[in-house]
Amino acid sequence: MNRALPVLTVLTGIVVIWYAAAVWMNAAWVFDQAQRAGQEVTWAEVIPQTMDQPRPLLPPPHQVGAELWKGLFDQAVTSKRSLVYHGIVTLKGTMMGFGLGIVVGVLLAMAIVRFRVMDLSVMPWAIISQTVPIVALAPMIITVSSQLGLSGRDVPKAVIAAYLSFFPVLVSMVKGLRSPDQMQLDLLKTYGAGEAATFLKLRLPASMPYFFASLKVAVAASLVGTIVGELPTGAIEGLGARMLIGSQFGEPLIMWAALFAAAILAGLLILVVGMVERLARRRMGVPA
Amino acid sequence: MKRLLTAAFLASMASGASAEDVKLQLKWVTQAQFAGYYVAKDKGFYEEEGLNVTILPGGPDIAPTQVIAGGGADVIVEWMPAALAAREKGLPLVNIAQPFAKSGMMLTCLAETGIKEPKDFADKTLGVWFFGNEYPFLSWMSQLGFKTDGSPGGVTVLKQGFNVDPLLQKQAACISTMTYNEYWQVIDAGIKPEDLVTFKYEDQGVATLEDGLYVLEDRLADPAFQETMVKFVRASMKGWKYAEENPDEAAMIVLENDQTGAQTEQHQKRMMGEIAKLTAGSNGALDVAAAEQTVATLLAGGSDPVITKAPEGAWTSVITDKALAN
Amino acid sequence: MTALWIAIGVWLAAWALNVWLSASPISQTRLGKLLVPLVFGATVLVLWEGLVRGLGVAPVILPAPSAIAAKIAVSLPILWQDFAQTILKGAIPGFLIGAGAAFLVAIAIDRSPFLQRGLLPIGNFVAALPIVGLAPILVMWFGFDWQSKAAVVVVMVFFPMLVNIVAGLQASERMQRDLMATWGASYVQTLVKLRLPAAMPFVFNGLKIASTLALIGAIVAEFFGSPVYGMGFRISTEVGRLGLDMVWAEIAVAALAGSALYGLIALIERWVTFWHPSQRH
Repeated sequence: MNRALPVLTVLTGIVVIWYAAAVWMNAAWVFDQAQRAGQEVTWAEVIPQTMDQPRPLLPPPHQVGAELWKGLFDQAVTSKRSLVYHGIVTLKGTMMGFGLGIVVGVLLAMAIVRFRVMDLSVMPWAIISQTVPIVALAPMIITVSSQLGLSGRDVPKAVIAAYLSFFPVLVSMVKGLRSPDQMQLDLLKTYGAGEAATFLKLRLPASMPYFFASLKVAVAASLVGTIVGELPTGAIEGLGARMLIGSQFGEPLIMWAALFAAAILAGLLILVVGMVERLARRRMGVPA
Repeated sequence: MKRLLTAAFLASMASGASAEDVKLQLKWVTQAQFAGYYVAKDKGFYEEEGLNVTILPGGPDIAPTQVIAGGGADVIVEWMPAALAAREKGLPLVNIAQPFAKSGMMLTCLAETGIKEPKDFADKTLGVWFFGNEYPFLSWMSQLGFKTDGSPGGVTVLKQGFNVDPLLQKQAACISTMTYNEYWQVIDAGIKPEDLVTFKYEDQGVATLEDGLYVLEDRLADPAFQETMVKFVRASMKGWKYAEENPDEAAMIVLENDQTGAQTEQHQKRMMGEIAKLTAGSNGALDVAAAEQTVATLLAGGSDPVITKAPEGAWTSVITDKALAN
Repeated sequence: MTALWIAIGVWLAAWALNVWLSASPISQTRLGKLLVPLVFGATVLVLWEGLVRGLGVAPVILPAPSAIAAKIAVSLPILWQDFAQTILKGAIPGFLIGAGAAFLVAIAIDRSPFLQRGLLPIGNFVAALPIVGLAPILVMWFGFDWQSKAAVVVVMVFFPMLVNIVAGLQASERMQRDLMATWGASYVQTLVKLRLPAAMPFVFNGLKIASTLALIGAIVAEFFGSPVYGMGFRISTEVGRLGLDMVWAEIAVAALAGSALYGLIALIERWVTFWHPSQRH
């Protein structure tokens, strides 16, 4: 209760502001229509009309909620009209990109910590890679992967997602693998531990808190990458594709519903990653 | 979905290894604009010819010309200006069939801006699509003598997104629309036809050919590929004619194939009705006069022309001659 | 094919050079720290050039670096115009407004633990959302010019910044705050002299994340409508025209701008947080 009350208060505030904004933004259209029809309207007449326009500038919360409900629960989950179905498509792309991003990030971090030459030459470019707008590369990724015989859109999507998600993992893992201090390293040396043993018994366990902390960031980045990959590059399936179609056909409700479905997906992913983190910590004997 | 999968599975079993694979890259997302191909696939016209056709939907970031250059498709749906521009860039695209006889492109303006004829465009903001679709517009403006850099007396151009908002929000006086799509979204949004002024490119004499089928020239030299394309064009045209005659059914087939599930029956049926008007009168064979007019329009494109010289060999009747022979 | 072999040869040689460089004392100097990544970058370009030439990759798929450089050289005015539109008018004002607003909000709710407890979970959640999806909506609201791009950037930057600043303001230790109290420091004095400086590592962490977000946001937003210039406009238009050399020229500019922004923030960070352990080495 202690924690829920402030959150609820802020949420209520947001909803109130949202309604006010919806009235204000959608009213222009009502006035415009009335003017075209040569009628006078008062605010009392306008407000109800701002609440259920088919193409509102800003749909009020209940409209978005209704559309979201329709998409989530009123369809068979296997139907193309179901947001669950598209959410799963997006989830698949996110997980593939996330997995790929973790593998690339961890391997690179290991190489960077082990070899000074990698540290010096690759690390600056890893930072620069994140300043390249990935969307600009998307068409290239699609053509190149189709030339390699991967004609589906899954691979390009996963590559884009991995491109965004490997970086937080890399940065945290480098920090984590370097976190054991000299005393601990010296201790292992006195035990006569080799490089492999030092890595397995000291560096790797020491890096785990950093690793899990980076996962939350990485999974969110991966989701953004997947949606960006679906949005402009071959709108076929997934939440990003629905946003595009909603935009093209002037159906803002479809767009908003897809946006909120993506938000729910993000929330679930972060929750799951948090649970995995707690589980892993407990197994490793770290007090939660 | 399951039934569809089973059908597809059975179809692939039946045709077996003898089926010739064809990958078709569309110019845009799955919609009635491409109904003929979806009908041909769903009605088994491709299968009858022994073809196994994969239809790849496009999107805002997918240039069919680039896809075919990368080997991601065997044949693409593209507009002639973009295809000719790619040809000048060294990608030898050849038009093998032209299911669309007419152009559906127009400029739609709000009457309240006072625009009545093209010369009223001066000092107005006009919305245009880019991504290879801007060429006809630029040619038209240069023929009208308007500069497009926003200087006084010229027009201000903005790149419109994928919807009609710029007109509804009055950010532009006119926007590009297709007769079969965006125009109706303006109407749907509650603006009456009498509040709009439209200029069809077809009526202004600056129409360019849209939605033709293009392949790479060097592959066309291969008789086996030629044979495949003859079958493909024959089946596709059968699909188009079927779609023209049964627009509602065609729209439902398109809807069935839309994987986003965000398209609506109302939109697609209406779009199919308008598309049928554009494909009517084409048997698939390219009207050379229309192609030459396209070239002339593009060559008139002022200081920054789309193409600098008339192309040679950019279209061929080899395929359609054979496809339409029987 | 020879081009490919030459490129691979150069790459191996350069890699050997880098291994030697990083083992030698030169790598401890500032020059060495700059030299090694530059050599690495250069070899990647050589390898790229060799691959494109050796395998005969069509320029409409992947242009060679030399072709891209030639394009950059002849299109500087266009690149500058696009840069000014997207980065100077869209990304940077959006970045400053977003970060500034986050800062003000963080200070404003600083005295209300209630609001903090309400806003933080929500801010954390929103920071993880694919805000990029809002781009088409914001373009609809704010029109076509740079205002809508800046708006997208503001929204993308605001929440990560807010979360980092609020966390940073709680970073000072109990003992330090008690010390300030024993000196009779007021709220404002404690804030300015202790808590804000202590928050700086978090703030700069947020700024670094936000700087890359700002670029992505400004460029993606242009896909949904723009004037006829801007980096996102140019990229999407030139892909349609098969002008891949121009696309890569814009990518190069974006990478350069992004790195410059990141570098600038890192430089200011070093100057502001000289006392922090991570800067002392």
